[in-house]
Amino acid sequence: MVTDVTNRPRSGSASAKAAPPRRVISRWLTFRRSVLPTATLWVLVTLMGFPLLWFLLSSVKHPGELFSFPLTFFPREWSLDGYQRAWERLDFVQYFTNTLIVASVTTFLTVFLCAAAGYALAKYKNPWLAVFGLCILTMTMLPGEIMLNPMFVVVRDLGMYNSLWGVIMPSIVTPTGVFMFRQFFVSVPDELIDAARIDGARELSIFFRIMIPLAKPILLTLAVISFQWRWNDYIFPLIILSDPDRFTLQIALRTLIGAENIDWSILLAASVISMIPLVVIYLVFQRYITSSNLSAGLKD
Amino acid sequence: MRTRTTRLTTAAAAAALLGLAACSNGADSGDVSLSIVQSGDGQQGGALQHMADLYEEETGVQIDVVEVPNADLRTRLRNSAQAEDLPAMAFSPNIDPVWTDQMLDLTEISESAGFYPELNLEDPNDGLIKSLPSTLTAVGMFVNVDLWEEAGVEFPTTLEEEWSWDEFVDAATEVVDSTDAEFGLVMDSSAHRLRAFLHQFGSKSVWLEDGEAVTSPETATALEYFYDMHDSGFMPRSVWTAGDDPSATFKSGRVAAYYSGSWQIADFEETVTEFEWMSVPMPQQPVRATNYGQASAFVAFDGTGVEEETLDFAEWFYSAENYEIYCEMSRCLPPMEGLDIDYGDNAYAFEIYNGEIAASSGLFELQHIKHMRSNYLGTAVDSEPLQDETVRYLNDEITLDEAIENILTVTTETREG
Repeated sequence: MVTDVTNRPRSGSASAKAAPPRRVISRWLTFRRSVLPTATLWVLVTLMGFPLLWFLLSSVKHPGELFSFPLTFFPREWSLDGYQRAWERLDFVQYFTNTLIVASVTTFLTVFLCAAAGYALAKYKNPWLAVFGLCILTMTMLPGEIMLNPMFVVVRDLGMYNSLWGVIMPSIVTPTGVFMFRQFFVSVPDELIDAARIDGARELSIFFRIMIPLAKPILLTLAVISFQWRWNDYIFPLIILSDPDRFTLQIALRTLIGAENIDWSILLAASVISMIPLVVIYLVFQRYITSSNLSAGLKD
Repeated sequence: MRTRTTRLTTAAAAAALLGLAACSNGADSGDVSLSIVQSGDGQQGGALQHMADLYEEETGVQIDVVEVPNADLRTRLRNSAQAEDLPAMAFSPNIDPVWTDQMLDLTEISESAGFYPELNLEDPNDGLIKSLPSTLTAVGMFVNVDLWEEAGVEFPTTLEEEWSWDEFVDAATEVVDSTDAEFGLVMDSSAHRLRAFLHQFGSKSVWLEDGEAVTSPETATALEYFYDMHDSGFMPRSVWTAGDDPSATFKSGRVAAYYSGSWQIADFEETVTEFEWMSVPMPQQPVRATNYGQASAFVAFDGTGVEEETLDFAEWFYSAENYEIYCEMSRCLPPMEGLDIDYGDNAYAFEIYNGEIAASSGLFELQHIKHMRSNYLGTAVDSEPLQDETVRYLNDEITLDEAIENILTVTTETREG
């Protein structure tokens, strides 16, 4: 079909002849440019949301209903039994606290140290800095599993085994974060720093009062990503923490999966509960989280 | 605005650090406290916690039950050993060479508890018993009573009533034909279950003679029978070849029978509410047999500073009076005879399991003891050639002869004689 854009010159007056041609958008064009993409996106949203909705509804089904045939989308009998048992079985308050401490402290230190390292790599001239930068770049190419054992030995020998510090310390400096900041600071003109120095600003002042505010978008992006990484971290807390009072949420959740069978009712409910803090954080910081996801594909 | 944000950030960090400091590692003080690491489901974990509470009431000694993810229990104990931070005790799925030299001698407790003789596993290096069975686990069969009743087909309910695999397949096929059931049987994808199946056909599975793996002709007969049950659609192919969840398949109510084990009873009591289920004797062709073993090994560690208290708890836990309570709560089979355990409505099921175990002793030694011995010697491997090659056979990747040849070859290469 041909797009129906027509010029309708008004007959008669000179002013009518001078008026620019008016574009009339047909219904088909509106449908093609607006309704169709929107409808397609809603279909995709529904498809993406369906498993999540199924997951949420399954958590309020009676255990006997979870696998009954035919499967039903809505619970035949609504039950909060799984939530009650999950709450009784796991000390959520303790695990939330531990995970929050680990994620918050690590994120705070990660952002600060990565910003400082990235700034130094971008703005200071020293041959050793280039070597140091190359070493950091090399780290991004190593799978985390390879570093797991050496990190465990270091943490143990530093006397931080079975402490939250033992989980926090090795996670602080992420090579990805350093490079995010380095790449950003490289784009900041050197003249800005020179001008600040002429005005009498000292190096720390330049960093804290000029560079950090400039790097706010990258700072928030790394903060969001780092928090998500640490919140979902499993392997390192598992090998470092032995006292259940210091367990993080992910370890606690995994204990619900037994050797031979899984109590899905409890596991589903516990998983929903464990998601709540991150959902709240998402609702508060969704603008930054969305922008941070543009950097998807970053490596922990 | 910026100043306010900075203050808030600083305050949050300070609060977090204070919290962190409060949670940092520190030595326990005051009364004696023993930790026991395990990976139990709700039933077992709850039962052990109950025992810990009882023990504290009686003695004042606190027992901390530490639940660890089952798949990572081995890693966890290894790291604890390397960090010289082993717990006082653990229910471990296997014995690990990393900490075998730190295990306490439990011989006296083993003798006083009176375990089945084949469960007294000695360390081949020094002849001491350093691990005790947590509970017993055995292979068994469940039926969906509603489907069988709807089809009007009978099934045995006591050990006196026997049925062969041919009779079982005929009966279950009739159930499938007469109801909306989809499959006659579903079996856990596990070498443990498959060995029981082989035993029932008269095979001793695979064993070692002079360092070489051998098997009997009945193994081929059983595996061919197993293949036919999949090929005909009597069993779902997706469980063994694609990792589908057999328990969920049975719980859907569309399977006549489920070949699984005693550990399902506690779960079924809670989660199967849509139909009636029942534990039944397994078919025999012609051998009555199950495959059984210890669910996990109780071990206690040296160098913790609380060795004496640990042994006291172990002795208390494995006394008949207390172990009965543990079995009743965790719905598990005891590894010793002569206990009076009240399983409630499902007492008949445990009688069936105990009867099948009694009929199967001897077979157990071939499978389980050697595996545990390998654990002590540090030669145990995680591979299960019986299961791996059977899956390839079911997938038509290899023939039956090739499957058996591969099973024997890999077993010879990987197992200690």
